Amino acid sequence: MANVTINVNGETRTASVPPETTLLKLLREIFNLTGAKLGCDVGDCGACTVIVDGKPVNACLMLAGQVDGRDVLTIEGLADMDRLHPIQKAFEERASLQCGFCGPGVILSAKALLDEIPDPTAQEIRDALAGNLCRCTGYTKMIEAVQDAARILRDGPENKTV
Amino acid sequence: MRAFELVTARDSRHAVALLAEHGPSVKILAGGTDLLVELKAASNVPQVIVDISRAEDLKAIAITDEGLSIGALVTHTEIMRSPRIREMFPALVDAAHTIGAVQTRNLGTLGGNLVTGVPSMDSGPTLIALDALVTIAAPTGRRQMPLAGFFVGPRKTILKPSELLVEIVIPRQNLGKPAHFLKSGLRKGQALALVNVAASLWVDWDKHVFVAPRIALGAVAPTIIRAARAEAYLEGCAITPEAMAEAGRIAVGDAKPISDFRASADYRRDLIAVLTKRTLENAYAQAKSKRDKEA
Repeated sequence: MANVTINVNGETRTASVPPETTLLKLLREIFNLTGAKLGCDVGDCGACTVIVDGKPVNACLMLAGQVDGRDVLTIEGLADMDRLHPIQKAFEERASLQCGFCGPGVILSAKALLDEIPDPTAQEIRDALAGNLCRCTGYTKMIEAVQDAARILRDGPENKTV
Repeated sequence: MRAFELVTARDSRHAVALLAEHGPSVKILAGGTDLLVELKAASNVPQVIVDISRAEDLKAIAITDEGLSIGALVTHTEIMRSPRIREMFPALVDAAHTIGAVQTRNLGTLGGNLVTGVPSMDSGPTLIALDALVTIAAPTGRRQMPLAGFFVGPRKTILKPSELLVEIVIPRQNLGKPAHFLKSGLRKGQALALVNVAASLWVDWDKHVFVAPRIALGAVAPTIIRAARAEAYLEGCAITPEAMAEAGRIAVGDAKPISDFRASADYRRDLIAVLTKRTLENAYAQAKSKRDKEA
């Protein structure tokens, strides 16, 4: 068994899991954080995207043991019960999601982008979301939402132009 | 995934000891973007996996006496962000950028991309066009060899089960050598190469001829190959658009592309000619702009 201690969404959590357990399985089945989705399970679709030590990764392609001692941010760590994160709010206002299965991954990819580049070009947004497949929306409204969120995160909510 | 034991290597020396200890069926886990996919699909998995992802001594990008040293565990994202690599070898940055997507580039490593050894890999051609060497650690010590000789077939390298790729070195005499990489895939994102090409060259400005031109082709043979006849044609040849186009045509004859569900062999041959010409043009443009900057 592998003993794993990780900081998930600001909280230290510990588990003892078989070595072949992926980070995704640890999050979903042991920690009951089901925001990260099991999609393709081979690193193509991005539905399992979480942020490890500041970088978006496919949780299906990491073993739980490899994340021991690291910081993990999942979609559950973005909002609280009262307030959505500005990226989530922008996705809601732009109606950027339909079925929503890809949403947690897309929003975390967008967050990692905006943490690094506060004012991304449309091309930089497309590049940041290239690892997140969405079969509903055609991506256009997602890109608009990320642009809105970037503006709001830079200037504050009063200047938004939705 | 079927059960296995996971042992974690503290550094490369420890990794080599663990490989020797656990025998020939052991597998190495670095970025996991290939290995975990393989293990999930496999009916038999090795008993022991050696996790090298925490071996800090394999994560450096440094200028040494030998040249530019890139640790085997450097990720594609780290290559894209390295100020040193961006300045000296934009072609390596472009090649890394075409691999997978952000998430897989954050996990996947340069060493892993090379060791997996798929003929369409995007890291290999530029490195081979820059005469890169690889450093291999074995229980008996370390040795160095040209990357071009590292690949022996599709998904097959020269590495023995007890050996570990630790470092990729671009030799000192090639630091800053103008180079360019181009890839043609079926989509803009997350696409495998139908053909990828890298070229590097020096220019003798007095004679205005090519010096030490190198052309490497991916996805058109069982391993990445050098377009040897095209290189021989260009060596000492006057730099003209016609010469670069002719090198592209000759390069087609150096390759053995196959037809598969992604593209026909004929289409791949056309791509080789066009991409070779363009990489040469772009590498030459880079040489020119470097000279103008220095002047």
